[in-house]
This record gives sequence, structure tokens and C-alpha cells, in this order.
Amino acid sequence: MTVTDRPTIRDAPDHRVPARRGRPGRVNGRQPIGALLVTPYLVFLLVVFAYPLCYAVYISFHDYFFAAPGAVVDRPFVGLQNYRTVLADPAVRRSFVNVGIFLVINVPLTAVLSLTLAGALNKAVRWRTFFRVSYYVPYVTASVAVVGVWLFLFNSDGLVNSILGPLAPDPSWLVSSALAMPTVAVYVTWKQLGFFILLYLAALQNLSKDLYEAAAMDGAGRFASFWNVTVPGVRPATTLVVLLATVTGANLFTEPYLLTGGGGPDGASASPVLIMYQRGIEQGSPDIGAAIGILLVIGVLLLALVERRLVGRDD
Amino acid sequence: MRRTFTAVALGAVLAAAAACGSDDAGTGIETRGPITVWYSNNLEEVAWGKQMVAAWNTAHPDQLVTAQEIPTGKSSEEVIGAAITAGNAPCLIFNTSPASVSQFQKQGGLVPLDSFADGTSYVEGRSGEVAQQYKSSDGKYYQLPWKSNPVMIFYNKKAFAKAGIDAGNPPLGTYEEFLATSRKIVAGRGAQYAILPAPSNEFFQSWFDFYPLFAAATGGKQLIEDKHATFAGDEGRAVAQFWRTMYAEKLAGQEKYTGDAFADGKAAMAIVGPWAVSVYRGKVDWGVAPVPTPTGTAADATHTFSDAKNVAIYSACKNRGTAWDVLKFATSSEQDGKFLELTGQMPLRNDVASAYPEYFTKNPDYRTFAEQSARTVEVPNVPNSITIWQTFRDAYSRSVIFGKQDPGASLDEAAKRVDELASQP
Amino acid sequence: MKLRFVTLLLGAFVFLFPFYYMLIGSLQAEPDPSVGGAFPRPDNLTGRNYAEIDAAINLGRTLINSGVFTGGVLLGTLVGGVLAGYALARLRFRGRGAVFNLMLLVQVVPFQLLTIPLYVLIVRNYGLADSYLGMILPFAINSTAVFVFRQYFLLLPAELFDAARVDGASELRILWSVAIPLVKPALLTGVLLTFIGPWNEFLWPFLITKQQDLQPLAVALSNYLTTVSARAANPFGAVLAGACVLAAPAVGLFIIFQRQFISQSIESGVKG
Repeated sequence: MTVTDRPTIRDAPDHRVPARRGRPGRVNGRQPIGALLVTPYLVFLLVVFAYPLCYAVYISFHDYFFAAPGAVVDRPFVGLQNYRTVLADPAVRRSFVNVGIFLVINVPLTAVLSLTLAGALNKAVRWRTFFRVSYYVPYVTASVAVVGVWLFLFNSDGLVNSILGPLAPDPSWLVSSALAMPTVAVYVTWKQLGFFILLYLAALQNLSKDLYEAAAMDGAGRFASFWNVTVPGVRPATTLVVLLATVTGANLFTEPYLLTGGGGPDGASASPVLIMYQRGIEQGSPDIGAAIGILLVIGVLLLALVERRLVGRDD
Repeated sequence: MRRTFTAVALGAVLAAAAACGSDDAGTGIETRGPITVWYSNNLEEVAWGKQMVAAWNTAHPDQLVTAQEIPTGKSSEEVIGAAITAGNAPCLIFNTSPASVSQFQKQGGLVPLDSFADGTSYVEGRSGEVAQQYKSSDGKYYQLPWKSNPVMIFYNKKAFAKAGIDAGNPPLGTYEEFLATSRKIVAGRGAQYAILPAPSNEFFQSWFDFYPLFAAATGGKQLIEDKHATFAGDEGRAVAQFWRTMYAEKLAGQEKYTGDAFADGKAAMAIVGPWAVSVYRGKVDWGVAPVPTPTGTAADATHTFSDAKNVAIYSACKNRGTAWDVLKFATSSEQDGKFLELTGQMPLRNDVASAYPEYFTKNPDYRTFAEQSARTVEVPNVPNSITIWQTFRDAYSRSVIFGKQDPGASLDEAAKRVDELASQP
Repeated sequence: MKLRFVTLLLGAFVFLFPFYYMLIGSLQAEPDPSVGGAFPRPDNLTGRNYAEIDAAINLGRTLINSGVFTGGVLLGTLVGGVLAGYALARLRFRGRGAVFNLMLLVQVVPFQLLTIPLYVLIVRNYGLADSYLGMILPFAINSTAVFVFRQYFLLLPAELFDAARVDGASELRILWSVAIPLVKPALLTGVLLTFIGPWNEFLWPFLITKQQDLQPLAVALSNYLTTVSARAANPFGAVLAGACVLAAPAVGLFIIFQRQFISQSIESGVKG
């Protein structure tokens, strides 16, 4: 699993490393002190991440539920049965389709908008500080806080529909099976965009001015130079943006939980993590929940590999 | 790295061993000593809980009770479930939802009240016939039926008068009357919606739209009887069809309202329990009616959903003798009276209306609810209860609220799934 | 140029308007969903929604709890994260690839999958229920921040390190006196990135704290939003006021530090 094993915020290859690779070092590598420095982090990962993850995998292969300490309960090994149950469950299948719809809208929208806005912000403009702050504000604010406003803006008598008047969709945004997931996707794009703008800004700083000048000499217009210089120049950042947006999007939970009252209407905005939460925690079947979670992780890893092939091809 | 890992693993094992070792030491039904209890966090119940604990502690300085509030939001079951698993649940929780009892019981988290010498007799003596609904499938009581909030229809007299309906005695008895009245309200601009039960997908929402009407139509049937779904029969279909008509004609809304639709005049009716009396006092001029039935059953024969919350003793409790004594103290005739007075909710005891005559003379608004509380239906105490309700809710939401499937067919499908779930352990 | 400015202005409007609406709504005595409701009207303004929150929640106490929780996570991330980020970027040792891949895997796995095993581990095995430590532990070192630190350490020129090593400086000394001063802007970016997580985190502290005097602001406010606000005089306004209270410290802090947060120009750090 090497999804982004490369410098990505800025494309600065570590020249030193390959040079030293040729020399067979001591058994513990060139600088064994590195192992010491990384120890706190490794211990942290083992305790609060690897252990529960292995436990979750174990749970997913058993007929498992959580019992009080000391309670004698039978938890037989059931092989792949939980996975079969999960795959046969229409609600689970629906949720994977839903998150697919979400990603198809959210990921390209995020990449295009954040690059466009970062490109505009990167040039010296009036009110630069004001613009920066306004783009990051949604990102630093908790969803719990912002969802309330969106509910008021997008409910059937909300401000958005009052402005649209006769053009307002019926059924309204969050109660229409066709519009609920796109509305959630737009909300998440809006909420996260600040972070992705930040990543692109860092990448744009490193694009050499000479390239733009050369393009201008060749008679390229503003759009052509954007397409021929900027877009390829920030490709490593695009890889990172696409991968991070995919990963956060696949873990979608808070928004359908709060914005559409538990994945409504009629499950049109239920996400796999939401279903996992319902089955695993609310309904007390952690075995089913764990199986959903493991399938999701596998799915995201596969998707990340494909995306890396597609987006990150030339580098 | 291996050494570090071993150290961590060793630490974990030692901690686990220590936790196990200290367990079970001196746990018994006779053991007495300090205990912890949780109660719900709404203002009125906190006030009651505080005075109850203070009264107990004054009388029993050797067995002090420490009390805390738990969040009663969507996730209080989650908190309790996690606490059971971790072994740090308190002795008593005065907010145990009957729907989660089967799950907590399966987890080994609850102490059967029958293990106390006077357990069964106390539960049945206090609550009478109603107690039977709270028995678990192994025939034991894992919860003490504590208080109910029998739900009824509240209506806004002003909105009714505006739409030209007799606000003193509105026709709401049968489905036909209810629909006709609803149409008048919406057409006469009494309110945007006749009624607005939360149309969202949480498993418990059906307790406040489908279930009360189903209980009334069937004369008090539970959703599952003898491990078989009852809701796909004629009565269930009629209830589903009734709500389908409400949604199809936009007499009820498909969108969740943030805030209180009844208080804000967005809906002219609401399905509420006695808690609503104090909440809407001074805000809405309301009247109250029983839930509608196909034939217009008389008010004194109509059943409804109980919306009860109960008390259970959790197995992490060491001083169970004290826990049982506190439970009896907190549900004594005197404390039940104080509970009624402070919260307006109905203690689940025999004939609450005649047990506290002064209270109901002073507060006639609550009398209707007290009378209704004699005829309540609980969620069935069966395994997988929350999964069953979620299955039902999904089917109901798909067909009745959003009209994507025929309600009858949808109920049939759900009944098949529910039968399977109810027969699993 | 005009076009760019207009685009940015339009974008800023879309981004800021919900926050403006949140503020206006929180100050209204009666909810007003019409277009006119988006403008302040003197006869409909009140501070009562905030007064109700103040009465329902011990704001001071919950702010302190949020501060301890967030501060603990920041400290853990700064110490553990910088060490790890540096080692992953600049040192060669056995198992480096494995740690790196583990760090990436962390970002893919949904937290809900780990919640209950983690809860059992921390509460049952470590006995850390109702403690700040139990709250902090699962977030103690933010993996995204480790990743960001690594990226910035990678950008430093190799010659710097080689020169220091030739002089016989130890790795820790190089880290402390050469590398860290050069990546100060990155550290602040990491800090602010990390800050957002625990400050807004709801589910975990909610599970781990039963005692109200330990609850952070986000938990107390969510509880207020789901249960108590429905009883407020204007539930609509109460919800928005709660949202403002939660958002204000994060947004305020961000505005104060925004220059450093955005300090994308690592060159300034390297050259300076």
C-alpha cells in the first residue's frame, strides 16, 4: 500500500537517498537512530490504530457482539458469512452506490474549483487576506455548527428556494432522492475546499515564472498557458488532492447523519460509514459493521490505486 | 521495535488481568455500599433526581448515592452499550429504553430483578397488568417499568378556528374525519401542514406515527407477537394507507423541520405525550384528542404507544443490595408522586389517576393522559429489537412517506424480514 | 484582471454568506426564513439566544476542557510528529517503509470502524474513562500532520545536513538546531491543521466522558443542540447561536494566525 510514497506537497525529490542506497549499510540501515525517533509515533500507531484494526478484522470473521466483562458468551468463527450477509444487504449495496455518486461529483468539483481559486489567489490581487480568510473559514468550522445554517438555507421554505421562486426544485433539495446526495456532495466540497486551495497554493508557488514567459513568447493566451503550464506543473499536488478528497469522501458520515436525518430520503444519502454505524453500534452487530468497514477500506485502496494511475501518470 | 511491542502487549495484558482480578470480588445481591446512578438530562427530571438522591443520602449516610446526568440525545443507548462493554456502567440508569433492553441483556449487562427475593412481586405489584409487556423472552424482568408518556393528538385551537373547524370538539375520531379535518386545515390556511411527524429515517421515529395508530386500531397489539410480525395484517395496512394519503395530499410534510413545528404554527397538530403540557403552556392554545382509529373508538377504549423509560440494574454494579433498595425507594408511592408533580410524566403504576387525586384536581390538563396511560402498548421485548425497528422504518419510509412502493407490498416484505430477525437468538 | 477579482469576490460571497446568515439568525428574536430575514432588523434583534446557552452550559468550564483536550493533542503531535516526520524524511533505518505505509493506511480507515475496540481498550484495559488522557490518546499524534512535516523536511537541501554531520553533530542536535528553525512555518501549519480535529471532535469525547465537568465545548453544544434547544424561546435562533459559539474560537484563532497558516513560501523559511 504505497499510495503516495513520494513528495507531494511540492515535487522535491530526495536526491540523497538513492545515492546512498547503493552502499550496503549496517543491518539496521544508515541511521538507526531514526528508529528511535520514530518510536513514539510507532507505539502510538500500534496501540490506537493497528491493534483495533486487527481486532476489527477478527470481529468480522466471527459471530461477534460486545459483552460485559466476565459475561460468558459464545462467539463462533463463521468464516465469510458476515461478508456474505453484508453483500446481500440492499441497504449496504445502495450505500456504496451513493458514495460512488458522491465521489463522482465531489472529487472533480473539488479539484477544478480549488485549482481555479488557488490560481486566482496566487496572483497579487486586492483584498488578498480577506479572500484567504473567507475560503478557509468553512474548513476550520465544525460540521455540527455549519449544518444548521445549511438546513435553513436549503429546506423547502429556506432562503435558497425563496430566491429561486418558481424555479425551486420540487421535491426540495434534501427530500428529493435525486438531489439529496448531490446537495450533500456540494456541501462537502464547499466545506473542504479551503484545505485543498492551501495544497494548490503551495504547489503554485514553485512553478517557475520562466515557463509562463516561454509560453507567452509562443503566443499562448491566458487559458492556453493555464492548460499547458499550470495544470501539468501542479500534477503531484493534483494527485494528492484527488486522493485525499477520495479518502475523506469515502469516510462520509457526519453530513448524512446531521443534514439528511440519518441518510434520508429513503436511504438516498446513506453512506457506508453511516450504515456501519447503524448496524455496528446502534443495532449491536459489530461483526456486520466491521465487515462493512473492511470492505470499504479495501474499496478505497483499490480506488486510490486506480486514481494514482490515472491522475499521476506522467511523473 | 520488537522489544517495544512486547512491552506494550505486556502492559495491555497486565491491565486486562488487573481489571479481571478486581471484578466479581464481593458482588452479590446482599452487598451494600456506595453506588452510582444516572438520570436523564432534561430540567424537570434532573430536579426530581436531585431531590430523590438527597432524600436517600440523608437517610442512608453509609450507602451514599452519586448521581450524574447522561445525554439523552440520539446516542444515549450508544453510551450505555459502550459502558457495559467496558464494565464501567453505573448501578442504576433511570432512562433505560425498553427497545434496547434485549440487546443489553444479550451483552450480559443487566441484572435480572427476579434475583432479588421480592423482585418479581415488587415489579408486578407496582405496575400491575402492564408489567407483562416488559418481561424478557426468558421470562425474567431485566427492567422495572418506570414511567410512560402515552402519546395523544394535540391540536392548535387557533389554527382550527381559522380554518373553520369547531375547536371545542373537532372531528378527529375516524380516519375519514381526520383526513377531512386535515384537508380543511390546509385548504383554509390554518397551518401549512395538518400534522408533521418527523419523516426522517431513525429507527425510533415509527413510534410516533405508525405505532400509536396501530395500537389503537388493533386494540393493543404489539408489533410482534409470538415471534411473528403483526403489522402486515388488515389493521396495519389501513394505518399505512391512512398515512400514505396524508403524505400524498401534502397534509403531512416529507421534510424534517428544525425547531418545533407545533409551537411555530407550521403544523396544526402533533403527536405528543404529557410532557407537552408544560412545554406548550402559554405558547399554544391547545386541545387534546386520542389518536384516530378506523371506526372512531371511544376515548376511554383507545390504546396508544407508551413511550416508556425504565430503570435497570447493570451488571457492573457491586453493591447490588443497595441498588435494589434505591430502586424501590425511587419508585415508592411517595417518590412517584414527586416525579409526577415535578415532570408531569406518568409513573407506570396501577391506576395513576386515582393514586394521586389532589394532583389531577390541581392539574386537570394531565388527567386525560393519566387515563390514557392505563391503555398503552410497549415496543415488543424481543431479540434484535432495534434492527427490527430499523427494518420497519426503512420499509415505511420508502412506501408510506415517499410513495416509491405500494405500502401493502412493502409491509409484507418487511414482515418477512422481521419474522426471520425475531426468531434468531 | 477584473474577471479574476470578480471570480474571487463571488467565491468569497458563497463562502461567507452562510456564516453571515448564521450570525444574523442567532441574533433574531423570531425566525424569518424570507429574503428579508437575511438583513438585520432592529426590532427583531436580541441577545437572548446567547443568554439561554450561557444558562444551559457552563461555558468557561467546557472551554477549559476543550483547551486541555486540544492542547494535549497539539503537544503530542508536535513532539511525536516532528520526530517521526524528520526520521521518515531524512534518516534511513530498518522499517522506515513499513512505518510510512502504516501512516498512509491510517488516513484511509474510517474512525467509526475502530471506535468500539478502541473504547474497550482505553476504558477497560487502561482504565482511562472520564479522564483527559483517555480523551487525548486516540488523537495524540495526528498522522496528517506527520505527513506534512515529512514533506517539509524533505524540501530542505541535503547539503545542510551533510555539513552538520561532517562537523560531528548528533542527529538530535541537527534536528533541533538546523532543521526545526528552518521549518517553523510548516510547524505552525501543522499546529493549525491539528487544532481543527480535536476542537470540533464530538463522538469520541462524548463516549469517553460521562461526567459533565469534563465535557469539551463541542460535546456540550451538540447535547444542547439535540435536546435542550427545542425548549428555548426561539429554537431556530438557539441552534444558530450554538453554532456561532462553537465556530468563534476556531475562526478567531485562524484569523490571528492566518498569515503563518498560509505561509506557503517555504523558501522564506529556508533562506531566512
